[in-house]
Amino acid sequence: MKFIINLTRREIRSSWRRLLFFFLCIALGVGSVVALRSLIQNITKVVGVDARALLTADIEVSSTNDFTPADIAKIEDVVTKSGIVEARNEAITTALMARPVDPSNQSIEFVELKGIEPPFPLVGAFELADGKPFDFALLQNNGVVVSRVLLEQLNVKIGDKIKIGEAEFQIRAIFDEEPGGSSGFRLGPRVFIEKKAFDDAGITRNSSRVRRRILYRTSDNPTELVKQLRESLKGTTITVASYREQQENLNEQFVRMENYLALTGLLILVLGGVGVWNVARAFIEQKRKTVAVLKCLGAGGGKIITVYLLQILTLGLVGSLFGVVLAQSALWFAEWRFGNDLPAKMTYGVGLSTVGQGIVLGVMISLLFSVLPLLQIRQIKPRLLLRDENNTSLDRLDRSKWLVGALILAALLALAVWQAGSFKVGAFFLGGLFVTSGVLYLAASLLTRLLRKVRSLSSFTFRQAINSLYRPGNQTRIILLAVGLGAFVVLTVQTMQGNLMHEFDFTKNAHLPSLLFVDIQKSQVGDVLATIQRRLGEEPQSIPTVRGRIAYINGKPFDFENREIRQQQGIIGREFALTYRSNLDDNETVIEGSWWSDASDPTPEVSVEDDIATSLHVEPGDSISFNVSGRTLTARVQNIRKIDIRNTRTAFAFVFRPGFLESAPQTFAASVLRRAPSTDRQRLQREIVDRFPNVQVFDVADIIETVQKLINNFVLAVSFVGSFVILSGILILMGSIALTKSQRIYESAILKTLGANRSTLASILIAEYLLLGILAGTIGAVFALGLSFAVSRYLMDIEWVFQPMVLVIGIAVTTLAVTIVGVAGSFDVLFRKPLATLRSQ
Amino acid sequence: MINIRSLTKTVSSGDDQLTILDNVSIDIPDGQFVAVIGASGSGKSTLLGLIAGLDAPTSGTIEIDGDEITSLGEDDLARIRSEKIGFVFQSFHLIPSLTAFENILIPMEIRGQPDGRARAENLLHAVDLSNRGHHFPAELSGGEQQRVAIARAFANRPTILLADEPTGNLDSKNGMHIFDLMKDLHHENNVTLVLVTHDQMLAANAQRQITLKDGRVESDSARQ
Repeated sequence: MKFIINLTRREIRSSWRRLLFFFLCIALGVGSVVALRSLIQNITKVVGVDARALLTADIEVSSTNDFTPADIAKIEDVVTKSGIVEARNEAITTALMARPVDPSNQSIEFVELKGIEPPFPLVGAFELADGKPFDFALLQNNGVVVSRVLLEQLNVKIGDKIKIGEAEFQIRAIFDEEPGGSSGFRLGPRVFIEKKAFDDAGITRNSSRVRRRILYRTSDNPTELVKQLRESLKGTTITVASYREQQENLNEQFVRMENYLALTGLLILVLGGVGVWNVARAFIEQKRKTVAVLKCLGAGGGKIITVYLLQILTLGLVGSLFGVVLAQSALWFAEWRFGNDLPAKMTYGVGLSTVGQGIVLGVMISLLFSVLPLLQIRQIKPRLLLRDENNTSLDRLDRSKWLVGALILAALLALAVWQAGSFKVGAFFLGGLFVTSGVLYLAASLLTRLLRKVRSLSSFTFRQAINSLYRPGNQTRIILLAVGLGAFVVLTVQTMQGNLMHEFDFTKNAHLPSLLFVDIQKSQVGDVLATIQRRLGEEPQSIPTVRGRIAYINGKPFDFENREIRQQQGIIGREFALTYRSNLDDNETVIEGSWWSDASDPTPEVSVEDDIATSLHVEPGDSISFNVSGRTLTARVQNIRKIDIRNTRTAFAFVFRPGFLESAPQTFAASVLRRAPSTDRQRLQREIVDRFPNVQVFDVADIIETVQKLINNFVLAVSFVGSFVILSGILILMGSIALTKSQRIYESAILKTLGANRSTLASILIAEYLLLGILAGTIGAVFALGLSFAVSRYLMDIEWVFQPMVLVIGIAVTTLAVTIVGVAGSFDVLFRKPLATLRSQ
Repeated sequence: MINIRSLTKTVSSGDDQLTILDNVSIDIPDGQFVAVIGASGSGKSTLLGLIAGLDAPTSGTIEIDGDEITSLGEDDLARIRSEKIGFVFQSFHLIPSLTAFENILIPMEIRGQPDGRARAENLLHAVDLSNRGHHFPAELSGGEQQRVAIARAFANRPTILLADEPTGNLDSKNGMHIFDLMKDLHHENNVTLVLVTHDQMLAANAQRQITLKDGRVESDSARQ
């Protein structure tokens, strides 16, 4: 044992420089796993830990319609009988335009208005920006408490008055964090008012996007109560949610996201493993003589393998610890770079259990990827000290290697399953990785083989450079695989960004409106349209809309006790804007059934948008019953309609045949296509809202800008992770350069002896890495092109755009990185004196 | 005592079988200094390697102190080398990652001897390298490296010392110094010394000379 420990220590002392890349490969991989997992855990801690606090209650009963006395009676009956309800309040929310009362201030902004009543919140605490607890008195007599950001947007301060709907409110206080958090997509900053002010201010009178909530705090598990409420409210449009179910969904979402990110980290770690395998293989090759001497001195193969295994494990452990340091640095970087876009109260430390996981992963990957090279020690015979057998290959595969290989695969699968939190995902990840690597490796082999064919070039430099790519132990294909994989990830994300941006590009999509006006009363239509035309010079199109919710499909209500249906609640349970018309729009096509055939048919007919039809599982001939202002209207599905959403002025999920909705209470929507400057748009919004406070104006350009920012941030984050994949490829390249350096030095010495000067050798060196970089970049670009096409066409159903510049830049950057690293790592070779080199051989 | 019986070693060379040692039988009593001489390719180094168990013969047997070693596995052979045999190579074969002192220490550590450090110091002193112990092989001259190799070979107090052209890579002055050192240690420790050499003058110092030719014993004579 003493021998093993002493020799391990001495070997590390002398070999650590040669194994530096081993160390860095593991550090980078572990760093990625720990950083990504910690990041998402820290986000979870802030935004998603407590669904109860998010809901601000234990149970929420909500509806976008007014609760009828019958509904309230049913609810209260069930609640009273349960005997577990401790407290109750009501809240009401909608999105509306807010503007300063001061006429000299022309600002206007969408706000998310929330009317509350005491006790608020039922669960959690509400602290104002000045640190004082929220006092309900602040809201009385038309007071508002607003999110800090609104002061900047409207250019107002505490004490100023703002107008929402037809009423004026005074800003009494501001807050940074509201009960229930501020996650999710919102049209504007939150504004709290007193619930009764909603009705007093006429806000609810005409607005159709109001959600009413009755919230309960319970003293016991609310699951049974929720079940009873759902049973009692079956057939109505009222939804019931409990914090337990939301917690379940939230936890699942966060865990899934954490596991997916951890798999990304594992991908980088597995690539690091490829680097480890490379380094270990070359290391054992270099240690042949030492192993033979040790065997000659009486050490058994098992003892020697243990020495090198211990060495590898020590380096794996230290590399993993360094990876933790890298992860912490990455989190600090994230704070510096993305801090503004991440939750304010988020912390940026690595998690202790994550660090433990990272270290276990790092050591395991070190072990798994170096076992096969280490087994070669068994094949090293001491007789090589008597005869030169250096050319004997150690790579022979025998039965024990196959067995160990199978064990390694099983262990890798176990690691992937552990990280993914699911056998299916883990197996899919590993399988996918093998297939992708296999395909990339094949492509690399094909390209290098093709390159070999052009070795008869007239240029000596390129001929030599191509020859260098085939230098024994040069790992050309492995480098191409690793760097190519990194370029593939980054370029796929970049091209997808290009495609998504194209989707939201105003200049390309002429039919996408820039402004959308909704909730226009019939009596206001003429004036609103005239105002728009006067301000923007465009005659807007007006469309009648009726609001309704789905009550039954083929006579049956939704069963929200069913988890799968409940998860779709947001899509199928919401209130829809229904319209009616006799013709198809330009951007619509019927894909199933036929357009209105018989105008005299007394049965109402409805055309359903493709995606909604899929969610509802309906096809032509089925029936859908809508709840429209308390009345049920049952329509037969006449056709399924596809909308070219990229280029659409309106996108209605349900279009009725004329003759059935006209008598229902309806409002009008209008849209403007003209790309007016933002100041003109703001002035028009201000005039419309001042004159017709019930009309809602959506600045589509503004919303799209927000979405574009989200996409950009997402792409930046994914590219950041993707660049780690490239970095592991570069590390493998650096490792390979270091390991084949003696050969390169020898070759250079011979070429110098034969008359080659330094500039010739330098051009060979540059040409070699240029070729390597171009090949790696091309592999990445070609596969990125393929994947972005497949994802755009078949997964996201968006238009695929060929972006040659992205690919060219991608290939150029990859080439540059590979060339710089390659040349920098080998440049000193040019300055070695040939005699000393040749003598030492 | 080393007993070699009908030792044959053939290797494949392309499609042909090349006989390196052909039915060699030799007995070497304890404490004898034997020089094995012969032209290049006569099988000298192969014979030495087979005695050390570094390779397996095609046929024949080798007994060391009564133990037949040709049928032993790798680990048993390693144990026998550790306990009984010291080996000195023409190209030294020191472990480059260890210092001179550690190179001498390592056989004792492999064998699990507790007093290794003191003995390593003594051996360094014996080969006149006390002040060079902390140097790595690359920092030593050829003669110094070979002296470290000799000290290493004596580390576990072997009963047999096998030396394969130990002076072949050294100039004549250093070569003589190394030879004298081995001879002295042989005397002091009473080990069996089998020396493979080209050098007739060195061989003349041995108690017995065995000449190999084309894998066979051509002559076997004791010094008068």
